[in-house]
Amino acid sequence: MHPRQDTVEIFSTFIQFDYDRFGVWVTDTRLRRSMKSTLETSAGSSANFWALYWHRLWQENHHLAREHLSAYLQEVCFWSATKTVGSFNSNQYRLADCFQIAIARIDRVLQGFDRELGYNLKSYASITFSNTIREALRQQKEIDICTDWSLLRKLSQKRMTEALAVRGLNRETIERYILACNCLKTLYVPERAGSTRRLSQPSNAIWQEIANLYNQRKTLLTIQDSVTVEQLQQWLSDCAKAGRDYLFPSVSSIDRPKPGADTIEIVDSLVGESNESLVSELIAREEAQQRSQQRSQLEQFLAATVAQLKPEEQKLLELYYSLGLKQVEIALEMNTQQYAVSRQLSRVRKNLLKSLARWSQSTMHISLTSDILDNISSLLEEWLASYYGK
Amino acid sequence: MTTTDSVIFNPNNLTLELDRTTVDRAWRTSQKIQNSFSRWQSYLNRVALDAFLPWLKAEEDATATCNSSSLRDSIWQLVNGTAIAIKNARLVLIPTEAEDKSELRVPQEWVDIPQWTADYYLAVQVNLDAGLVQIWGYATHLQLKNGTFDPCDRTYSLYDAELIRDLNVLWVARELCPDEVTQAAIEPIAELAPISAENLIQRLSNPSLVMPRLEVPFATWAALMQNSDWCRRLAAERNGISTRTPISSWIRGMKEITAEFGWRQIELTPGFIGARGTATSEATSVPIGLAKQLEIDNRPYELKILPQAEGAWRFELCCLTPGCMIPTGFKLRLLTEDLQGFEGNEDTALEPVEHLWLEVDLEPGESLVWQIEPTPNSDREILQF
Repeated sequence: MHPRQDTVEIFSTFIQFDYDRFGVWVTDTRLRRSMKSTLETSAGSSANFWALYWHRLWQENHHLAREHLSAYLQEVCFWSATKTVGSFNSNQYRLADCFQIAIARIDRVLQGFDRELGYNLKSYASITFSNTIREALRQQKEIDICTDWSLLRKLSQKRMTEALAVRGLNRETIERYILACNCLKTLYVPERAGSTRRLSQPSNAIWQEIANLYNQRKTLLTIQDSVTVEQLQQWLSDCAKAGRDYLFPSVSSIDRPKPGADTIEIVDSLVGESNESLVSELIAREEAQQRSQQRSQLEQFLAATVAQLKPEEQKLLELYYSLGLKQVEIALEMNTQQYAVSRQLSRVRKNLLKSLARWSQSTMHISLTSDILDNISSLLEEWLASYYGK
Repeated sequence: MTTTDSVIFNPNNLTLELDRTTVDRAWRTSQKIQNSFSRWQSYLNRVALDAFLPWLKAEEDATATCNSSSLRDSIWQLVNGTAIAIKNARLVLIPTEAEDKSELRVPQEWVDIPQWTADYYLAVQVNLDAGLVQIWGYATHLQLKNGTFDPCDRTYSLYDAELIRDLNVLWVARELCPDEVTQAAIEPIAELAPISAENLIQRLSNPSLVMPRLEVPFATWAALMQNSDWCRRLAAERNGISTRTPISSWIRGMKEITAEFGWRQIELTPGFIGARGTATSEATSVPIGLAKQLEIDNRPYELKILPQAEGAWRFELCCLTPGCMIPTGFKLRLLTEDLQGFEGNEDTALEPVEHLWLEVDLEPGESLVWQIEPTPNSDREILQF
């Protein structure tokens, strides 16, 4: 993959995969037009500046901002996917799929990204994408070894609802399927203490109970028809299939350039220009300068704080963030027990979080709340990843 | 049984391992529950608690405690979730088997019943096959109350992106911004008359009703659940243990059930009876009564129920601290099952006194409710004679 250099391209092109490898950069014409007209107002600014600029407009619900940022983060997402797939020691997971999983969750990055705290969007996106992919691969691994009946017990209602919606089912039907799933979860429970992955098909008696429970509880649904055992069996096997397929969302994702809709394009460009008033731009520019100052202060502070940690704590951070070792490997390296590793890491991170929170309170005059602390925690994570990742 | 060696963990998720002993013990303990859904729910909650509480005590708060075990066991059969008290705050663990970590789904009881609410609700994933428990996010009561309410299963839910993903934030927030508002205002739940509660318990104890919490309107269900005594009774009845037993048979035995409801059997010395002037000449027979310890205004008291001759029963309240007198204004009151008063049903301390007491004649099968002012730390209960 050759990285993009041109600012307009950075904010208007997307990776197209050639099977499982990088193919070409494809341009979204709407975004290209939008970015070109935006650049006319301030040609010399950096890509980083424009990323912050679009993030601010994203918060104000500007409808193209998300796609501009999605374009901006393509390389980051690509490298996160490459790295994470590589660490999974398996050929089973396709790079293109992992890329899609991550970029589809870009809202998570944009929501968590806190401009005020001096984040770096790319490195924040990088850890968020990596976590997302890792989590998805872990889930996939788990789901792959589950039978259909176990799978139905192991998917949340939210996930199942999304999976069914992707299949194009309407709200009323989804409601019925979800109730059927819940009745199964209620009545068909594992019989052994440590075994939930290999549940076999429920017995006829259990099927009948599931149908009875459904028919008792259907009164809150929009469609209140009764169901038979045969219907339920069909629905639940559809649910299992939908649940399996949905873990890897299909490539026809929302982040691809959308064809057609020329009338909207005209409106887009008009709306785009009116948002790009010089005033907001200047504010954004000033913000950017302040932020880079804050950022370097913060980096100094954290580097100094980490330097004061005990040697074994520093080693732990390095093993985890720099070498990306697994728990068992860290335990071996640190000569400790496996279960202690996650706890120790959590303890070290807690102390760093506390120091950083206090520092933000006094230097940046931020009044702390749980939400702010949550952002500070992400910031810390981002910093650790980039500090040790060098 | 652990497979953490193959897991690259996300540092925000607190990962706790399950050992075989914990799992086996939780499984064995839950086997006494008849209904399979309740049994599984209890098992899952117990595993989550047994993994989390020792960690919590070791790492964050040595004072952390759970509800009394009998109430906790009863709740697990009826509602998913486990309450834990830490210094100045309450947590509720919400265990789930869901692999996808995409939502936190909290039963309405934990959010809308004033006695049940907590400051923080923790999303706990239990993976029994992998032998892992992961705390992967949490939310405050305030956040949940502003989340999505689903009337179908009566839950409040939040999406993963709406949760705080790092549990460390909770401890740091308690330390650095302890005054932050965590709870939304909620409406009190109207109390249920004991006779209605009794009928409801009988109706919901039918084991063919798999999820009693969804069988009646929430306000009614919540009114039943907010009384810990009724909550315990419903759970016991659903396991085929009859709780509607006369006090006289509690006195004669049934230690377990008696203790479950906070009572203990007492033996009265003949001398004591003589002194009260209520004993008959049969000094050889040792009558037995019941006693329950209560806390009123942070002091220990004891309520006794003592059978008298010819169907009469004596209710007696005394202070347990040596030399302590019952303060002026305290009242001991008895009411019928539908909360009606009757003649001679109240004793008031007009000056500091040693005892407050009442004596009533009761037909076998009659029921009473006792009340004390100021209100002690005990829920209203209905006693059958």
